[in-house]
Amino acid sequence: MSVFRRFFVAALSLLVTLAALPVSAQDAQAPIQRLLQEHGEIIAKSSRRTIGPAIDALAASGLDEAQTVLERWREKEMWQNKDTGLFVYAEEIDRRTIRTFDFATSEALGEFEDKAYKQLKPNSGIRGLISAALVRFQLTDPNPQARTAALNAIERDADETHLAALRAVVDAESDANIAQRMKRLERLLTIRFAEEDAERIAAIQSFEGDLGVDVRAALNPLVVTRLDVDSVLPNDADVVRQIEPGTDALDVDSAYALLVSKDLAVERISRDAQKAALIANIDGGSVGGIQLASLNTEAGRDLAYTALVQQGAVEPAATDAEVRETLENFAFFERYSAVSPEVALAAQAVLKGIENKVAVNQTIDLGLDALSLASIYFLAAIGLAITFGVMGVINMAHGEFIMMGAYTGYVVQLFVPDYTLSILLAIPLAFMVTFGAGVAMERLVIRWLYHRPLETLLATFGISIALQQLAKNIFGTQARPLTAPGWLDGSLVFNDIVSISYIRIAIFVLALLFLALFLIVMNRTRLGLEVRAVTQNPRMAASMGINPDRINMLTFGFGSGIAGIAGVAIGLYAKVTSEMGSDYIVQSFMTVVVGGVGNIWGTLLGATMVGTLQKGIEWLNPSNTLAAQTYMILFIILFIQFRPKGIIALKGRAAEA
Amino acid sequence: MTDATLAPARQPIVRRYPVLLVFLGCLALFTLGVTILSEGFGIGIISTSFVKTLGKTLCLCLVALAMDLVWGYCGILSLGHMAFFGIGGYAIGMWLMYARTEIIVVQSLSAAPLPPTAQEISDGIATQIFGVVGASEFPPIWAVAHSLPLQLAAVVLVPGLLALVFGWLAFRSRVTGVYLSILTQAMTLALALYLFQNDSGLRGNNGLSGLQNLPGLGHVPQSTISIWFFWASALALGLGYILCTWVVSGKFGSVIRAIRDDESRVRFLGYPVEAYKLFVFTLTAVIAAIAGALYYPQAGIINPAEIAPIASIYLAVWVAIGGRGRLYGAVIGAAFVSLLSTYFTGGQAPDINLGFYTIQWVNWWTVLLGLSFVVVTLFAPKGLGGLFDLIAARTAPDRHGADLGPDVGALREKEAEK
Repeated sequence: MSVFRRFFVAALSLLVTLAALPVSAQDAQAPIQRLLQEHGEIIAKSSRRTIGPAIDALAASGLDEAQTVLERWREKEMWQNKDTGLFVYAEEIDRRTIRTFDFATSEALGEFEDKAYKQLKPNSGIRGLISAALVRFQLTDPNPQARTAALNAIERDADETHLAALRAVVDAESDANIAQRMKRLERLLTIRFAEEDAERIAAIQSFEGDLGVDVRAALNPLVVTRLDVDSVLPNDADVVRQIEPGTDALDVDSAYALLVSKDLAVERISRDAQKAALIANIDGGSVGGIQLASLNTEAGRDLAYTALVQQGAVEPAATDAEVRETLENFAFFERYSAVSPEVALAAQAVLKGIENKVAVNQTIDLGLDALSLASIYFLAAIGLAITFGVMGVINMAHGEFIMMGAYTGYVVQLFVPDYTLSILLAIPLAFMVTFGAGVAMERLVIRWLYHRPLETLLATFGISIALQQLAKNIFGTQARPLTAPGWLDGSLVFNDIVSISYIRIAIFVLALLFLALFLIVMNRTRLGLEVRAVTQNPRMAASMGINPDRINMLTFGFGSGIAGIAGVAIGLYAKVTSEMGSDYIVQSFMTVVVGGVGNIWGTLLGATMVGTLQKGIEWLNPSNTLAAQTYMILFIILFIQFRPKGIIALKGRAAEA
Repeated sequence: MTDATLAPARQPIVRRYPVLLVFLGCLALFTLGVTILSEGFGIGIISTSFVKTLGKTLCLCLVALAMDLVWGYCGILSLGHMAFFGIGGYAIGMWLMYARTEIIVVQSLSAAPLPPTAQEISDGIATQIFGVVGASEFPPIWAVAHSLPLQLAAVVLVPGLLALVFGWLAFRSRVTGVYLSILTQAMTLALALYLFQNDSGLRGNNGLSGLQNLPGLGHVPQSTISIWFFWASALALGLGYILCTWVVSGKFGSVIRAIRDDESRVRFLGYPVEAYKLFVFTLTAVIAAIAGALYYPQAGIINPAEIAPIASIYLAVWVAIGGRGRLYGAVIGAAFVSLLSTYFTGGQAPDINLGFYTIQWVNWWTVLLGLSFVVVTLFAPKGLGGLFDLIAARTAPDRHGADLGPDVGALREKEAEK
């Protein structure tokens, strides 16, 4: 019956409306319009303090049109008819005329002079409330992308209204991924905005061991403390710890300033203020009866100030001794200031667990960093392990071979724009270029100096200086880019803390490949056999029909060629400059010497040790790579004291070769 | 047999080393000549800046002398002596900077209505000196910077102690040859990297500056001060030369040369090889530091880049080009190469136009230096000093034959036959 009656009434009122406003076909009895009329007054009043119920009613109405209303309202496109009080949305045609639309049907109602309507202009506070209410509609939007966007919006800038909105929709969500995010966000918002402590504590505890940055961001504000002072330490639950003034956590000055601010002590005077007060009271060459000349000590100035206090010229101020005495009478402590102690304690407990887990993960991350640094050092040093380790030739221009390899890569990229192809081309080309340079150097310089290692060192220094300057002359002093192919961009992310970039993984793999290459060439090929024979006993090898000159030349070329490939890899990771070689040369020699000359496994261990050490020291003393390098070198100098032959020392005949 | 036949009466050192007198004579003449031609004391043909360059060159000759003693005579290729040189410069620079800033700060505070306290003066100086690295307090290593005698002592003691400790560690564990060179290079690198930090207490990569202004001598013109330093450098070089000649002249000199040629053999003969090496290493470090302390007031600025390993390598280059194993060779090499470097890198040398390419010496000098270094090492191991052998008609032995000793780099058979 009632349905019938409502229909009847609606029809009747429609008739009436039609009769009253022949131009307008607007239905005053449409549910959305009735709702608007119900709250018409406060909507028209537009005050942030009173608007709440109207927005809530709209949002809770379950009407589809409510979203349109809220959106239009927020965009200042809702108008109210001055005569009937009905709400419409409208677009401006020109300065005087608007075209109105009905909320219920979205149909155009016609064009009117805007004098007949009043535009609703919600202020930014109200617009914020409307936006928050709209999130609820977006959260139930049939399009999953819109729902994700709504979640993103909440994550960026959450407020307490979102919590209710989320709770209303979280159980109805069909998409599993979005549902999971919603639940997580709901718990995070519970921590921040829930009224009940029990709810918040439950939410806090549900995040036990969660490594997400958002969790820590939600928890950290809860455990904020503030400094407080009392004559004795209170036995309250929210007292975090007692602090002694004069320690790192609390210096005497700020402790005393707190006492002064609580009117528990008289103000202290700073040296500058004291000086100003004394200057203000200079009286013909003396202050408070004390000669100016004797005011060149702090004690003298204190004396003068005391004299001024006695004269009543200045306010009394506490001396250092009084400050100390006063401080001893008070207990300083920190207490939780943001939330109730129970919540803070729960947050503290969970945070502690998370921090432990974070520490473990950071160690893993540090380990990965160290490993990738170690592979870079290994790459830089492996060529040296051949020329210096196996042949015993000290080549100070090794770093410049690395540089040559990197510049070869750069030049190849100038001609071949495809990054993947250019790197694939650059690697063999870099090998060839540096192999050639190595062979030339061996033929022209080094073979004349095989018996004079110190002179080899000097001559190769000369070559190193010349090559560096040559590179500067050709390529200029600024760094040149060597771009990695696109598939090496980005990083492998394990969680919010542990991640490693693909390029580092590639360098690690390359280092392993080189290790394998070295082992195969040295142990499984004819060349390797001959190399080992020549290094152990050149005369005996020569009498067996091996040409030592040729072998030396090839070995040196091989070591230099590997340096060239390492240069391409290092160039991808760092910038290509003429000094990039000299940045690595000392560390490379250290790696070989620490590992043990003449043994590739030693070089591997040496690189691991040097890399781990450097990262470890950097971690102890963050943001200071210079200090890390300094201490690492000092450590290596000391290490060589205890194992002069390196980690893996050759024994027997090989050691004498 | 009498003692006289076993050990012939020792002749005076100048008789055995006539070069000493020749060298001192040349140095005295040179000093006199420069003084007469200078702006400060003479007719003003040589500009003040060139007097400074010459004074600095004399200091470089002194450090090259030290390098020759440790490398040419004792066989230790140290790539760390420019670090000691730099430490000497820093030590004197700390006093120069402190004392001068103190004068300025006291002057500015004296205008204030109240006489300044000691704390205010100290704070003022610290703010002036360390404002550039964002600090305003004196780090502990500046504790004695106010005192000239203590800083002068630091010029000698700090590098001496560093060399003593480092050398003791290195020689004790029998690190020799190229390993020692790399180790000294690593030490130099560590020191340079340390000084590059802002919180090292020595103003990071800004270094110490304004060292050419002597505190309390603001009224003396730089032309006069430059000559004073020139004289001091010449005196130091002369004394250093006498000291080095004396060290290498007697039995001690024979032992260190023997260590250079075959260390194990000397050890088996019963000599404490490590003690000898340690003495030479420390002594030369101190000489290098004194040279540095004279050099940097003339240069006016010192920063960590001066200590970088490459500087020590250049030092080895000078000595090698001059001819190691003879003291005058080191002096000639240092003077020749450093003056030539100044000439070429100073932009004074004319460019060479090849038609298709113009060789600018500022860019190409280092290439030429590096390559000439290779050539000298390969073809003229005696360096420029070897030219004097041509005059004295002393020829080198033919370098062929087997190694005499077990060490790599030992004297070879034919070389030993004179």
